[in-house]
Amino acid sequence: MFDIFGISGSGVALSQTWMDAVSDNIANINTVKRTSESAFQARYVEAAPIDASGANPSGVAVTGIALGSANGLVVSDPNNPLADANGMVRRPDIDLGDQMTQLMMAQRGYQANLAVVQRATDAYTAALQLGKA
Amino acid sequence: MGHVSRMLAQFATDEALFRASGKLECSPVADGLIIPAIKVALDGLQQRQRVIADNVANINTPGFQARTLDFENALTSAVATDPNASIDTLSGSVTSGFTTDPSRQDGNNVSLEKETLNGTETNLRFSMALRAIDGRFATMRDVLKGS
Repeated sequence: MFDIFGISGSGVALSQTWMDAVSDNIANINTVKRTSESAFQARYVEAAPIDASGANPSGVAVTGIALGSANGLVVSDPNNPLADANGMVRRPDIDLGDQMTQLMMAQRGYQANLAVVQRATDAYTAALQLGKA
Repeated sequence: MGHVSRMLAQFATDEALFRASGKLECSPVADGLIIPAIKVALDGLQQRQRVIADNVANINTPGFQARTLDFENALTSAVATDPNASIDTLSGSVTSGFTTDPSRQDGNNVSLEKETLNGTETNLRFSMALRAIDGRFATMRDVLKGS
């Protein structure tokens, strides 16, 4: 009966996971590593519908987290204490523009799902008034 | 009173109840098809809300195709063919399908504005159907009071 809340909740949870991943990526955008180490790897959330056939619509689920490039970008930064003999360090290969776009999509997804929750609440509230007049 | 609830019932399931009411005498106690038809409509509308919620939850899922749910047409013909149809017969009217909208680059074709409009409309129909059924109950209460 009340599974709309579960379905929209799964959408909200996905958006939340996505925003967490993006904010972690952005927080680490300047994380520098030695060239002997692997770079900070950006996290990308993978999602799929819970019921792909559509017979029993039940929302969305996080199916995994994909990681970005471990090679990152090797750049020259001779003054950095982590620089190797050639003055090189490894920076993560994260595009800030891409991350911000993802953040917006996640945020809009969050809002859209909550709007559905609000609508369902209105409908159920009306149903609870049945026969009271 | 019975007339008002019948009018609301017509709105609730569009043509389905419009046709049904033509065949029904206004008998407040023997309800004929109105209450079963409204129940099926309420159920169908709620399932549609569920489909909409699923579409919105998957708005960013690559490859997801938006779904639809239809019961109005089938309910119309079920009501029109058999004025004494049982609620079980009527509830077979709900069928689901996929939208044919063009997909985005990631293979997803959920349109938020469409889903929102559809959701709002579904909610209004839901309230309308509730009001119709409420009207029937009010009629029955009046009859029982004998006022």
